[in-house]
Amino acid sequence: MLSPSPEKLPSAGLPPTLEPGTSPWRDAWHRLSRNRLAVFGGVILIVLTALCVAGPWFMGNDYQSQDLRLGAVPPNAAHWLGTDTLGRDLFSRLLYGGRISLLVGFIATVVALVIGVTYGAIAGFFGGKLDSVMMRIVDILYALPFTIFVILLMVFFGRNIWLLFFAIGAVEWLTMSRIVRGQIMSIKRMEYIEAARSLGFGRRRIIFRHMIPNILGPVIVYTTLTIPAVMLLEAFLSFLGLGVQPPMSSWGVLIKDGAEKMEEYPWLLIFPATLFSLTLFSLNFLGDGLRDALDVRSSKD
Amino acid sequence: MRRLLGFLSVLLCLSAFSGCGPRETAVARGDREQVLHRGMGPDLADLDPALATGTSDYTVLSALFEGLVAEDPKTLAPVPGVAESWEVSPDHLTYTFHLRANARWSNGEAVTARDFLASWRRVLTPALAADNASLLYIVQGAEAFHKGQSADFSQVGFSAPDDRTVRITLEHPAAYFLSLLQHWVWWPVHLPTLEKYGSAFERGNRWGRPETFVGNGPFTLKSWRSGQLLVAEKSATYWDAANVRLQAVHFYPIEDVGAEERAFRGGQLHLTEALPIAKIDAYRKDQPQLLRIDPYLGTYFYRINVTRPFLNERKVRRALALAVDRDNLVGRVLRGGQLPAYAFTPPGTGGYTPEARLGTDFAEARRLLAEAGYPGGKGAPVVELLLNTSENHRLIAEALQEMWRRELGLEVRLVNMEGKSALVARRMGEFQLMRSSWIGDYADPASFLSVWAGDSGNNYTGWSNPAYDQLLYQAARTEDPDARRQLFQKAEALLVDEAPFIPLYYYTHVFLIRPSVKGWYPTLLDHHPYKHVWLEAP
Repeated sequence: MLSPSPEKLPSAGLPPTLEPGTSPWRDAWHRLSRNRLAVFGGVILIVLTALCVAGPWFMGNDYQSQDLRLGAVPPNAAHWLGTDTLGRDLFSRLLYGGRISLLVGFIATVVALVIGVTYGAIAGFFGGKLDSVMMRIVDILYALPFTIFVILLMVFFGRNIWLLFFAIGAVEWLTMSRIVRGQIMSIKRMEYIEAARSLGFGRRRIIFRHMIPNILGPVIVYTTLTIPAVMLLEAFLSFLGLGVQPPMSSWGVLIKDGAEKMEEYPWLLIFPATLFSLTLFSLNFLGDGLRDALDVRSSKD
Repeated sequence: MRRLLGFLSVLLCLSAFSGCGPRETAVARGDREQVLHRGMGPDLADLDPALATGTSDYTVLSALFEGLVAEDPKTLAPVPGVAESWEVSPDHLTYTFHLRANARWSNGEAVTARDFLASWRRVLTPALAADNASLLYIVQGAEAFHKGQSADFSQVGFSAPDDRTVRITLEHPAAYFLSLLQHWVWWPVHLPTLEKYGSAFERGNRWGRPETFVGNGPFTLKSWRSGQLLVAEKSATYWDAANVRLQAVHFYPIEDVGAEERAFRGGQLHLTEALPIAKIDAYRKDQPQLLRIDPYLGTYFYRINVTRPFLNERKVRRALALAVDRDNLVGRVLRGGQLPAYAFTPPGTGGYTPEARLGTDFAEARRLLAEAGYPGGKGAPVVELLLNTSENHRLIAEALQEMWRRELGLEVRLVNMEGKSALVARRMGEFQLMRSSWIGDYADPASFLSVWAGDSGNNYTGWSNPAYDQLLYQAARTEDPDARRQLFQKAEALLVDEAPFIPLYYYTHVFLIRPSVKGWYPTLLDHHPYKHVWLEAP
């Protein structure tokens, strides 16, 4: 999609033996699939997501049913990862919590990405007064204490888990917009942008087809950092009573609970924390790989 | 750069620790200097004895104020406080207190009979809306004055023949009156100070700050950073200062019981207010000398707001109360020697044990709910349960949430609130179910059952029943102990039948305490007069 269409390619003066062109996406995919760590990260993420989405349907244990008589027991045949103090199966809670955490991570990040990139790109591209106004708005939003902002949103729109996702996304885009703006400013005067301009392309086309693909590296890296941050944020909000409410679980909630009881019932911390770290590592590897793969400047190697 | 700084500071800390060996902890230093460090649970809501409602308020106020009578540290029997002696008339209706000449406020002025009268007048002023004002109803004419039926305070049975004599005339004889006087609502405040900072007879007076505070207790307010630390320092003007051994008490409002336990372990606290349930077994096994489980005259229950649709149906309320598996809750979840509660008054309170029972009966609960029109929970709205933030409260609530879901098919949503906001919600009636507890003010069933009187400032549920109020009225005026207990039995049976609350368990106080704290005796009301406490390094 991002490659210039064949008609627009200068056709004169090319040797007839030119190797067939490949799209940048295909190039990127090729480079990505050669990066073992990134592939490993991607596979882990896919497996985890599949487990969390489909797992709870196949489990014999329910995430909310309790067995007070049983209490907290270490991993055994009936409960693979043990149970918590109310006798709830940790494995089911982990999988169920994974749904919430992954959903929060992805939805909130996508929201942040869409708002942040668009906003930053517009501010950076147009510059001048519009840029100043837009960036001052970002500054003002930065100055708002984050928790108060989310609490306000939640009070305004009620307690709803989907709203929570959007509320988190709606406050996480600020840094993204600054990064994008800076990048856009730095490539604005480059020759290929000048070239696109002189070819008479519209602003929208220049921003979205020529500039944004060129700044994807930092954006993707930052995105992979946003996802874990958002997951942690959700845990924090849930603790304050604004996020996920019992009996639902999320990884953040499980880790928080586990950390309180780690001396008595270590498995309550070990398993959620392992899974969470694994997800974060995978995301980081995948992000690194994507950055390398998508870097258009290194594409003709 | 920031990361580098962080790294450097970590290095610095490490070298500091390795260089100097372990630092002296707050507790060790406290032991040396007689400074008690204690956790107090949620932050206190008010430094005003007339307006305070919670046990964490008592925890602090009992250091800062003293009433006419004080408490014996072991038995809590009434001992002379501001009053050095008193006489009771033969008909048990008139009490005459003689104030000591050397009782002083922390600003040096003498504590006089007028101070007491003015403070009580303040409590009874309708505009102040003091939650505990009904504790003064035992005094002749107090109820009429508080309800605005009479505007003449001289009609109320308080009088001050001279500056050092207080005379109280009761509406009816009450054997527990001297114990009742130990309640904080009877403690004096320094009215001239209050008037300096606003109206003394309205809420929102800002006199309770370290710069402006005046009290008459063994300690006085030194500093208060809300949510962090409140320091009470030994008062030089206290009449018995020579016998006060602690130099200061540091109160730490730590709502998170896990954090409190960590602070204790880290040597920051001498004693905690609570202990995470999950840690009880570990302490029992490894450090039993630090764990204390004291008897505690209190009931843990959920208030039901009976003005809300769905919850205004008696059958629904009973169904909720019947579908609670208290034995497992107490035995498996709490593990602190608590007793399952099937009524409101703890068994053995003043020789009274309630016969009425809201037992556990899932089948009956389901039947009642079906009768009310919600078979299997169909058509029932989502019920909200309001909790003040605490790991232990949440654990219990989650257990109940699941019991109600499994047994009744009801969906219950847990709503977390920080302590002060929860109190506001309670006052405004903005809750459906609310976690609550009631700690006896004195060891008598009246202290518990009067909570549910229609005019009680501690009711909050919107429930009232004239027959119930009538029974309490009769009981208060009955001298024969057996007949009185019978009346309480009837009242409790009525209360349990209407179920404006869900009893869960009778308290024990589970907390951690350093062996260096001396004079901290197990008492039924969990009162520990600080003037009798001292520290002794082992």
